[in-house]
Amino acid sequence: MPARLEIRLKKELLDAEGCSIKKKSKEYFGYEVNEIRVIRVLTIDAQLDQSKLEKIREDLFTNPVTEESSYSPIAEDFDWLIWVGYRPGVRDTAGSTAQEAIEDVLGIAFREGEAVFTSKLFEVKGNLIRDHAARIARDLLANEIIQQWKVIGKKEWDPQVGIGHVTPKVILAKTPTVREIPIESDQDLERISRERNLALNPRDIPVIRNYFLRDDIREQRKKMGLDLPTDVEIEYISQARSDHCNHNTFRGLFRYRDLSTGETLNVDNLFKTCIETPTLAIQKDKDWVVSVLWDNAGVGRFDEDHLYVITGETHNSPSNMEAYGGAITGIVGIYRDPMGTGLGSRLILGMYGFCVGPRNYAGDLSPHLHPRRLLDGVIEGVRDGGNKSGIPTPYGLLLFDENYLGKCLVFVTAMGIMPARVAGGPSHEKAAKPDDLIIMCGGRVGKDGIHGVTAASETYSEHTPAGHVQIGDPYTQKKMHDFLIEARDESLFSFITDNGGGGLSSSIGESARFSNGCRVDLDRVPLKYEGLDQWEIWVSESQERMTLAVNPVHMERFMELSRKHAVESTVIGEFTDSGYLRLDYKGKTCAYVRMDLLESQFPKWEFDAEWIPPSLKGLSEPVITEPSMYGKILQSMLARPNICSRNWIVRQYDHEVQGGSVIKPLVGKHRDVPGDAAVVRPVLSSRRGIAVSQALAPHYSAIDTYHMAANAIDEAVRKVLAVGGDPRHLGGVDNFCWPTVQYDAVLNPDGKYKAAQLVRANWALRDYCLAYGIPLLSGKDSMYIDGNLAGPYGERRRVSGLPTLLFTVCSVIEDIEGCVSMDAKFAGDLVYILGETSDELGGGEYYQMLGYTGVNVPTVDANKSLKAYELLSLAIKRGLTASCHAVSRGGLGAHLALVAMAGEIGMDLDLALIPTRRGLSPSRRLFSESAGRFIITVSQENRNSFEAVMSGAPAALIGRCLPTARFTVRLGDEMIMSEDIMALKECWKGPFGGLV
Amino acid sequence: MKEVKALVLTGYGLNCDYETDFSLRIAGADSHRVHINEIISPVASRQEIRLDCYQILVFGGGFSWGDDHGAGVLMAAKIRHHLGEALSRFISAGKLIIGICNGFQALVNLGLVPAFGLKYWERNVALTYNDSGNFIDTWVNLKVNTLSPCIFTRGIEAIELPVRHGEGKFFAQSDQLEMLFADNQVVLTYADQEGKPARGAWPENPNGSLRDIAGICDPTGRIFGLMPHPEAFNNFTNHPDWTREKECLRREGKEPLSWEGDGIKIFRNAVDYVRKNLSL
Repeated sequence: MPARLEIRLKKELLDAEGCSIKKKSKEYFGYEVNEIRVIRVLTIDAQLDQSKLEKIREDLFTNPVTEESSYSPIAEDFDWLIWVGYRPGVRDTAGSTAQEAIEDVLGIAFREGEAVFTSKLFEVKGNLIRDHAARIARDLLANEIIQQWKVIGKKEWDPQVGIGHVTPKVILAKTPTVREIPIESDQDLERISRERNLALNPRDIPVIRNYFLRDDIREQRKKMGLDLPTDVEIEYISQARSDHCNHNTFRGLFRYRDLSTGETLNVDNLFKTCIETPTLAIQKDKDWVVSVLWDNAGVGRFDEDHLYVITGETHNSPSNMEAYGGAITGIVGIYRDPMGTGLGSRLILGMYGFCVGPRNYAGDLSPHLHPRRLLDGVIEGVRDGGNKSGIPTPYGLLLFDENYLGKCLVFVTAMGIMPARVAGGPSHEKAAKPDDLIIMCGGRVGKDGIHGVTAASETYSEHTPAGHVQIGDPYTQKKMHDFLIEARDESLFSFITDNGGGGLSSSIGESARFSNGCRVDLDRVPLKYEGLDQWEIWVSESQERMTLAVNPVHMERFMELSRKHAVESTVIGEFTDSGYLRLDYKGKTCAYVRMDLLESQFPKWEFDAEWIPPSLKGLSEPVITEPSMYGKILQSMLARPNICSRNWIVRQYDHEVQGGSVIKPLVGKHRDVPGDAAVVRPVLSSRRGIAVSQALAPHYSAIDTYHMAANAIDEAVRKVLAVGGDPRHLGGVDNFCWPTVQYDAVLNPDGKYKAAQLVRANWALRDYCLAYGIPLLSGKDSMYIDGNLAGPYGERRRVSGLPTLLFTVCSVIEDIEGCVSMDAKFAGDLVYILGETSDELGGGEYYQMLGYTGVNVPTVDANKSLKAYELLSLAIKRGLTASCHAVSRGGLGAHLALVAMAGEIGMDLDLALIPTRRGLSPSRRLFSESAGRFIITVSQENRNSFEAVMSGAPAALIGRCLPTARFTVRLGDEMIMSEDIMALKECWKGPFGGLV
Repeated sequence: MKEVKALVLTGYGLNCDYETDFSLRIAGADSHRVHINEIISPVASRQEIRLDCYQILVFGGGFSWGDDHGAGVLMAAKIRHHLGEALSRFISAGKLIIGICNGFQALVNLGLVPAFGLKYWERNVALTYNDSGNFIDTWVNLKVNTLSPCIFTRGIEAIELPVRHGEGKFFAQSDQLEMLFADNQVVLTYADQEGKPARGAWPENPNGSLRDIAGICDPTGRIFGLMPHPEAFNNFTNHPDWTREKECLRREGKEPLSWEGDGIKIFRNAVDYVRKNLSL
């Protein structure tokens, strides 16, 4: 029988975890719980005698100062006892490390099938009914997708038996089998595609059938003992053809029609026209652009000896189902991209972007997870993923909107650094060569992440794995990261890539293109548990794995290093130049596909796109008279969820690790106002830095996605320049999240409009990247951000997310000592506004606050702006600015206040002096969200030099910083508002101030 | 002059090794990042790394073994099991050990601090979950007990450093706390901006540590454990106020700040001590 060790903090110690659950029970459900205390449970399913069990209890798992423990049940003082454990097949990292430690301390090795499982018991005290306890279990402590739970009442409790011995092992009682797929007709394959959830595009089906029906192909297949395509082959092809891997939407044909002019235009391949062509053109002019558009991430030059690496992606659907697991898998997953770029880079920072429903949502719809719980989960997922990887998380965004109730967006971005040369050769180049061995390194393969086919078709039992949702494991990956950096420096491999979407199918399929073929023994792939079908091994998305090509002469040293780092590495085949991808299982071939099949002419996806200009949609400016209480508006605006302080998130993320923090996520006198961009010093002995920022403006999509994209790009650029970034070195990353663009009369009636929105956003991407000289170092698209939510009447309602572009800009700073933060610093300093303010409140915060959209969306004049940005950059470089801040959501009103609040310093400002046209009303001057603007403070002594540098740019002196804490805004002689800066700060900190 | 050799442990989820190594080099040490397994089970094809060849040993920050069973717990078990004797030799030879964050947690679990009456390997104190129940990254003001025998903090009265942890609350029974103070083994305590004791107030005391304790040493002062990260203040641009200070100095017509961060002092003290007191 397994042993069950229960451990808890001694009574006299505060149980912080219990306290925070108690607090959440109150906040989430309004339950008054008196106390919650946590018991950690280790179920040790291994043959260990009493003395060994006692030894590990004392030596490993019980801290004599703070804890008590027993192999008998220790729960005693509760009204309800809640038990939460994992479902079978869910990654239990703590269980694995417990096993590792037990084996080490006892000097033994667990036998096949032996393991340690962790779970938790919660002693709940309070006047609750069973349903309440169950709700705490279900909606706070456990997520049924990955966890199981029980509620035990005081009377049902048998202190002799306790909770029993639950060992969530995966038992798949079946023999792996390769099945043939019938391809008599297109309908056959279509049916299979539906049944197996392959999502094959109907237009791909004849191409696939034709291939397998070709005489020469059949002849060759016969020699390999194959006839009809196998399930392994069809799964492989469908993975490779998926929108995720192939970007079929972005490479598709859009028939674009402008409904106001009737003009039509065939837009063939957004990727090529709006991303690839501009980027390659820019690359010609910028020698710092090293490697783009082919690898896992883009590469730019940091200095003579180092290259930096950047990429970003999303992890929306999994996070929507299991917030913590989805987000941690997302951040840990994006870290593998720089690790697999060139010959591998060391990670230097991560960033996050969350778009979720309102935290206090109380409407009719029932999302799978309430936004509050979802947000808590994704925050914690990124926290553990980043912190436990030893990678700083110095920047992030959070945006609330009801349209994200259908599906949340979780953006993750990562940067790495690598030596410019490895063993004398350029580090950004790599190629798998024939006869190189194929190595899988890191985690093992289970049913994780497989497209839910079998999980859905198998009857649920207590040993059914929770297939498609995973929990990333930063510990395993950190070990692998350290190992790979060392192996790289010894030049032990010729190729490396990560296993992400599509698993081995993608990683080997793509790397085999370099050598033009491969042969893999699927039975050599290390598995978490027996019984996986061959196709499952091939497409499983189990995390924390890399695929490498190693020349046989380096094998011995490679495996020696792998053992040193306690990382599992396995030879699973070899690269060839046969022209075929060949998979064997126990000596029998189960897949044999020509490498060039995937390059053959698959038909393009096609979309109808209909653009309805805002005026034709009936959008107009709202009719609002000039308000009289400007101060009150500002107070309300600062407390709006998309403006207010979210410091509780920032503080949970380690942004100092690696010792190179220069501009932190929170700046100012009390270090509590977000900085414009993060700056890090990735090479500690160098004065150079990397600045990076992100922006998104999806609320403008309601008017025109062209301007949505333009504003996101402009804002990200300005934020990087504000800290001292170099306008000649702006690297971009585009992350699109879009609702479904394929028209369907019933399911997606506005699909054509959404398709036109996508085209227009791409046009802006092309235009502004060319104008600002931003190569797109990397980018990803994530379509289908829709959800069907249950309503109160038994109906389901489609909720589509806002068309969203997250734009990331990075820059290299020659000398970090020149960096500037956004906080006003000294009384008497002069306050300047750079950039013109126009009547552009459409889609902005002020209109939203009053319940409108409007139509005058901010537009970006790139040529004019760029000139001003270059001058500003010169002024910063010469040390003429005391602070600099990019104006965004909420306009001058919100952002002047933020600059003052950050410095905790008053200001006296005259709105009549800002660069604008005559007659613009005070509220428009305050809250217009016009692009291209900065707030700059300058010392009196630098006034002349600053003005000289800025001459020719639309910059104006509008006031000065005060020795008092008064924030005074005038229009000429007329007083607009006079507020106490500390009171404003309180408003701004109010909404989420109680969260930690 | 022979070089002072420092060893920074790596592997099994530890991090902070690059910046700790960098800080030690700035402080004048010949520092090396070494994987735990390179000392425990050296491989045939590489030269053996012996702890005896080093004078400063660093248990750095990170998440050893994922911290899943209490921070630093499994790390301590591994070290005690495989390197217990080598460490005892290291300590008796009068050499220096510093444990930072996760490393402090490991030192406490190993019983290398506080080691009352020089009785090593006994667990007397603990670092447990922050009162807030969450991880926190914030800079803290630290007051140095100048009466402490701690080698690492010589000549320092106060210092600002970042903390970044979820389990940094110092806990001990009250008699043990009394002994710690009586023996001046309490080296660092959390303070407010004026240097006055934080008295448990958040966020000055970021984790609820009893008696504001942030760092302690063994009775010899040669073994030092602390939650804050001196290696993360290796450069003046690490300090959260540096852009403000830079502007301030510029206006006073003063020279820019020293490029080096205050955290380096702690490592330099160690290097200087070794140079003066140990035969290299």
